[in-house]
Amino acid sequence: MEHERCYIYSPSKSDERPSKRQRTIKLNFQTDLSARLDIYRKVWTQQETNIQTTLEEADSATQGQIIDFVATSARSQDELQASIQTGLIVAGPSIASHGPYFERLGRRIRNETDSSYIVLTSAESPNLKTFLKNLIKKITSRTEDDEDDEGLRNGVVSSRRGPRLLNFDLGHVQEWLKRNQVQSIVIAIQDSEAFDTGLLIEMIDLFYSWIDRLPFVLLFGIATSAENFEDRLSGKSLRYLDGQQFDVTQSDEIIEKLFRATVAHPDAEPHIGPALCRRILERQKDHVQNVQDFVHGLKYAYMSHFYANPATIFLKSNPKFSDFSSDAFDAVRNLPSFRRYVEEKVEDGNTRAVRQLLDSNKALYTIIEGFIFAAQDSLSSQNVAAIVLTRIRESLGITPKIRLSSIWTRAASGELSGSPLLRETMLSIRKTPSDELMRLIDSLISLTTETIGPEAEPIVIPIDLKSLRQELTALVENNAGSEPLRSQDDVRNESVRTTVVAQKVLLSKHKAALTEQDKAYSQIVTRFCDDLGSYFRFALVDPKSLPLHEIMVYDLRSPHTEVFQPKPRLAIERALATPHDYLGCDCCGVTQDGENTLAATQPATAILYQLYLESGALVNVSDLWSAFHAIMSKEDEEDESQTMALFQRALAELKFLGLVKPSRKKTDHIAKMMWKGL
Amino acid sequence: MVSAKRKRHDEEGEHVSPRKLRTQVIEDDVLSELEAQTPSRRGRGLLQENGTPRSILKKSGLANEFNNTPKSNRRLLFATPTKEARDETPNGTPTIVRNADRSARRKSNRRLINRAINGADSDGEAVDEEETLAQQILSDNEEEEDEGEDTEVPVPETPSKRRPGRPKGSGKNQLASKARKERETTPPTGLPAHEEYFWQNRPGGTKTSNNTLLAHSLLNHDEFFEAMQAYTDRHEPEKEFLLELHGRAYDQWIFELEEGFNICLYGYGSKRAITGEFTARMYRHLLDQAPYKGTMRTPKIVVINGYAPGITLKDILTTIASAACHNSGKLPNQPTSLLSYILDHVSKDPPTHPILVVIHSVDSPSLRKSPAPAILASLAAHESINLLCTADTPNFPLLWDVGLRAQYKFLFHDATTFAPYDVEIDVVETVNELLGRSGRRVGGRDGVGFVLRSLPEHARSLFRILVTEQLALSYMDDGDGTEEEDVTATPKSKKSAHRNVSEATQGVEYRTLYHKARDEFVCTSEVAFRTLLKEFHDHQMIESRKDAMGTERLVVPFRQEELETLAEELSGGDAF
Repeated sequence: MEHERCYIYSPSKSDERPSKRQRTIKLNFQTDLSARLDIYRKVWTQQETNIQTTLEEADSATQGQIIDFVATSARSQDELQASIQTGLIVAGPSIASHGPYFERLGRRIRNETDSSYIVLTSAESPNLKTFLKNLIKKITSRTEDDEDDEGLRNGVVSSRRGPRLLNFDLGHVQEWLKRNQVQSIVIAIQDSEAFDTGLLIEMIDLFYSWIDRLPFVLLFGIATSAENFEDRLSGKSLRYLDGQQFDVTQSDEIIEKLFRATVAHPDAEPHIGPALCRRILERQKDHVQNVQDFVHGLKYAYMSHFYANPATIFLKSNPKFSDFSSDAFDAVRNLPSFRRYVEEKVEDGNTRAVRQLLDSNKALYTIIEGFIFAAQDSLSSQNVAAIVLTRIRESLGITPKIRLSSIWTRAASGELSGSPLLRETMLSIRKTPSDELMRLIDSLISLTTETIGPEAEPIVIPIDLKSLRQELTALVENNAGSEPLRSQDDVRNESVRTTVVAQKVLLSKHKAALTEQDKAYSQIVTRFCDDLGSYFRFALVDPKSLPLHEIMVYDLRSPHTEVFQPKPRLAIERALATPHDYLGCDCCGVTQDGENTLAATQPATAILYQLYLESGALVNVSDLWSAFHAIMSKEDEEDESQTMALFQRALAELKFLGLVKPSRKKTDHIAKMMWKGL
Repeated sequence: MVSAKRKRHDEEGEHVSPRKLRTQVIEDDVLSELEAQTPSRRGRGLLQENGTPRSILKKSGLANEFNNTPKSNRRLLFATPTKEARDETPNGTPTIVRNADRSARRKSNRRLINRAINGADSDGEAVDEEETLAQQILSDNEEEEDEGEDTEVPVPETPSKRRPGRPKGSGKNQLASKARKERETTPPTGLPAHEEYFWQNRPGGTKTSNNTLLAHSLLNHDEFFEAMQAYTDRHEPEKEFLLELHGRAYDQWIFELEEGFNICLYGYGSKRAITGEFTARMYRHLLDQAPYKGTMRTPKIVVINGYAPGITLKDILTTIASAACHNSGKLPNQPTSLLSYILDHVSKDPPTHPILVVIHSVDSPSLRKSPAPAILASLAAHESINLLCTADTPNFPLLWDVGLRAQYKFLFHDATTFAPYDVEIDVVETVNELLGRSGRRVGGRDGVGFVLRSLPEHARSLFRILVTEQLALSYMDDGDGTEEEDVTATPKSKKSAHRNVSEATQGVEYRTLYHKARDEFVCTSEVAFRTLLKEFHDHQMIESRKDAMGTERLVVPFRQEELETLAEELSGGDAF
């Protein structure tokens, strides 16, 4: 089988045996797995719908514009057109998210307008003929493919309406249009940059010549800029197009929205930890810029959480004591945070309770329930606090603008409480004039969670905003002047006086006399700030300090990084340079100074690789062989052919891995291709 | 072998010069020497470009060229009227002066020349004559002299500074070069990676011995397999353990696949054992599930051996189509339309579980080419198809850009096994190719002889023409090579450009060979020519390549020495 190119797998008899051996290993670990995975599926399905709605919402505005554009161009189809209606969709540099974007756009266009919609990519369009074939196939949704070519070969097969058309003749579309009355045919060119310019020009020419018969509307996906797109086309082709530009929400903004809807959502469960979150966001920013990848990262975090942590079974909705096995309880007893909790209890001298927790599952269950509820609560309020803080900063226009994602990450890692960021925000509130404060309070009252479908819930802050608001309104109404009220901390109520006394400049701050109303306002502001401060102090806790936070928060970098950002080159280099790291054998261990030495016991390829590392850019194979031979032949001198065979195999493997290539500079020389660690 | 020897020495000479400059800067007494030397290096460059130094020195015009610059320097140092006169002479006396004082025999020569110059300044003819004489003496002398000193010859010496300056300088140089050599033999250790790169790529750093492997030291297929069968790896238990470690992750992988991710395994060692075991596990896992449990139906898992030479996209897609689509209608021919056929089919009539496609070596040369990654990506992006890939090369992620990567939805797992790539690599063949010995395939020179003996007379002549042409080309190449080796100190780019040229011009152009063959009445038409070539092709005695310009070139895959013997035997006539 191994020498066949492709085949369908069929089991051989010998495959049965090892399976039984393995099945015994995994038994105790996997007990609740399916139950946990059920929870995972439930949780994730909800998140996924959240994500989907958020995504659709994110580009609904632009998509609405595009749909309007398509609809109007369809309506104006009746009069003779001088040019093709063209939408230039500037979708930004994150090409990976273009595909899904055009898919969503297509769904809406098909649903909301009376037009047919197809997407064409550069991969399917190497030349005009193939482009047209694909286009016709997609529009008319024909499945037959090669028959036309055969028809061509057999001579022209004539049908009722004269000679049969070639399969790249737009006449097919015309015929199809007669049968299916649509107002316009929307053709989306997903990656216009990747198209050959010549092809684009030919295509536009062709469409233009058919515009009197076929109601084309073109949509170009553009990753760079509309100007750049125009520059590529000739003046003639440009005259055929009647363009309008649409700017799509950029991926980083969408990701911010997604973040709000998923990670920072107060009802999120389980929570993603700050370290992992930072990593996902960094990867987004530096490497991929791709919404899908963010979603995948999140999904994988959820997967790992429920797959690898047996204690997550307690996240079950409507839990009953009978649902859980003793393994699950043991898993909880092994959690570090539980141990810490128990140790504290022991130090307090509460040994009886501890004994009970360790012995009785029932007792443990009650405490787990309480802990999970409390942890959920405080994590949720922390998310709210992060949202509130972001909203305050937004509302007051405090610079630098900090996104929710970074505020949230800081909050979740417990850095926010008492941080300069928080202090700065509070100070700015103290200085706010009344009109701005009014706006701020209003926006806080109306604060809701990220609108997810119908269930956008208001966010409740445990501050009596309503009464504050009433007092403030009363105060402002009584204010005769047109100027807004100012608090005592406002800079405008201060003036700096300089007096020169005995050739020294004295600076003295002077508070302007406050009016009664200003004084009253100052009180309100102070009360608001105090409330807010105590709220933040209460809400911003370090999640790591919560007992059983391991169940609620997933914050492991380990599988995540390797799985999404592998370092294959490093892995191979490490395997070859220090095979002991992988093999863990006794024979080729590490010497005392930590340096790996060449030993005959190492795998042949590893030895050859290390010799290769020492050599220059050009390697003499003959010398390489003598060095290899010198290392290998220490034990058995009798036959060279085995050493040679190993040498040849190792050399072939280096070639296979792309580490060397033939060199023509000298006989029996090979060229080095890779340097370790670069 | 004369040329090779010369090459080496010249190379050494080149290494010396920059260092020499440095030492002399420190030792500031020989300013003049320094000034005089710098241009001389340029002169040398010229000299080499025009062929062997000896012949050039005889040509007065060229000698003049490379002595131009020193002249101007000298004028600054010694503004004597005689200098002016010398400058006028086309051939710059420095050469004479410098060279003539080599030996006692030359001393008399010098006196003669000096007299001639001082006595008859304007007499250009006389000077020229003397010069030619001096140069002849010089070139004669050079032959006797050590090659090492050869490099010093063009250095113009001022007569006054000669005695104290010259030997001192050269002594220094020798010392310096010796020191350098010693340092080179022990390369610095513990360099950071980038420093090591530059150290190993420094100009002239690639000095390797001329040793070659003995013709029969490399094993052929039979010997290789015999030796490998006798070999037992002492690390078997550890490798088993590694496999078992990976085996523990199979359930996790199944879960990941079920969640719509695709998996890519990387790391050193053949991963066929892992994929094999995993496929079996997946197969049983699927058998336990709904549509198969208790029925005779079996799940379908597609296995693709990407390392198999000549695997095409069509093979892959057809196999996937046979697994994914139940109706056995006619499949489209083109890969792209076949792809959309499959995707259409699985979207309309989704299978009860995603079809698992196992691809070994997704980064193999045949799957790297342009449409393959994109097509595989759109397959992988479909939710009804699961991909389990293995990748062997260290830099495989470069195959996919962000868009493809997002489509692939890969989770990467390190699956280092240390298992030999028994199936993936044809060891003997790869090594032969690596060392440019693919001719061994035919059974070496004897094999060629055997084939030729069974062929008609004109086929033999055609092969002879091909071999001689190729040899002639490679000699020309070697000429280039000498020159190229000499200018090691010039920028690397030039060197590599050179190498590329010689690589590209390897082999004989198809057209040229045809014309030659026709001229020698080996064949009369191109058809006949083709027929003759086909026979060679069939016996793998020739290879045809396309160079950068797209012209076809025919190559006899032997090393130069073997070619030479072949050519001898062929032109001997009765050998075959």
